[in-house]
Amino acid sequence: MKITDAAVCPYPNGDSSVRRLALEAEALGFDSLVAIDTPSARYGEVEVRNGLFIRNAGMKDVIAQVKRAKDPTTVISVKAGDAGFNRGVVGLRGVHILRGVHAADRNAFDHVTAKMAADNRVAVDIDLSVIIAGRGIARQRAIQRYRDVLVLERRFEFPLTMSTYARSVLELRAVREVSGLCTLLGMDIPDVERAFAGVDRVTTPPKPSVRVI
Amino acid sequence: MTVRPPTLRDKRRYVLVRVDPPGTQIDLKELYYTVSDAITSLWGDAVAAVIVQAVICAEGDYVVVRCRRGSERELAIALSTITMFCDSPVALRIIAASGTIDSLRDRMKPSVKASDETAPAEECRFGGKECFVAHCDGQKVDVIEKGFKNTHRLFLIKEDLEEP
Repeated sequence: MKITDAAVCPYPNGDSSVRRLALEAEALGFDSLVAIDTPSARYGEVEVRNGLFIRNAGMKDVIAQVKRAKDPTTVISVKAGDAGFNRGVVGLRGVHILRGVHAADRNAFDHVTAKMAADNRVAVDIDLSVIIAGRGIARQRAIQRYRDVLVLERRFEFPLTMSTYARSVLELRAVREVSGLCTLLGMDIPDVERAFAGVDRVTTPPKPSVRVI
Repeated sequence: MTVRPPTLRDKRRYVLVRVDPPGTQIDLKELYYTVSDAITSLWGDAVAAVIVQAVICAEGDYVVVRCRRGSERELAIALSTITMFCDSPVALRIIAASGTIDSLRDRMKPSVKASDETAPAEECRFGGKECFVAHCDGQKVDVIEKGFKNTHRLFLIKEDLEEP
């Protein structure tokens, strides 16, 4: 199982170079990172994968940008919107992760979208930066929303991913710290392990259920 | 007032924490308030009263934080939510927990000065801009861009630096 941080933002979006982020991530116990707008590479023991994050875009733009992504190793993620938009995105071939569910409307990610996400192997991202840096009502709302997502996850078993959105090495957290933070959401150790392996799960093509011999 | 016998005292645990970035000036009182704030914000007053946290000492980049035995997990989670200290970004990395401060001292590594022989020249270039080295530890190099504006710290490694 690869332990992956599903979103980091290296220089120039952040203040740390991708190499430094990879070095620190290795020390903190990660095996791979998804770096937004950064070419895929391998630094030491850490694999860095290119991430495309589509935000503030309509459905047409999302379709166009997903088609334009040529690199098959790119991890494509889309920021959640209203319920209709989310259903459209989750049903779109090529999209791997739905992000920012905590910031969307209360009913934006419902049981129908959850079932579609499970069928199409689209992960829902858990953004830890809100829990780490947020205070008061913002953090309470995020925890509440993620607890709601986890209820649906236990029922429909769609993939989850875990992101720190680190723009700096100071915003990275160790695997043990992430596990601790996830207990605030009601996740136990197997849940956290599954979430860490979520990127691998959504980017690996599914094995055919019938094998022709 | 008679001193309470050791068997009746609360059992305490000590958590060793490294403050990143290296070289951060640690004011114990300020740090106590920061830790206290983080615990209260995350767990509330009731749990904060059970944790009974205290910042015991700071040695180099390391800090020892005390808590009641059994509440290390709550303390560790709260420590991982600290992002700012004295208006500058920091990260508190939990190294170890122990019943005595002495055993934690063995885990403290001496801090590396920027004047180390292995450190690159004081000035360097990154992204076409002149910078100076704020800290260097092995592969890791922290630089600060020269000038009056944009003087925030950049976290790089030696390979990222351009040839002068």
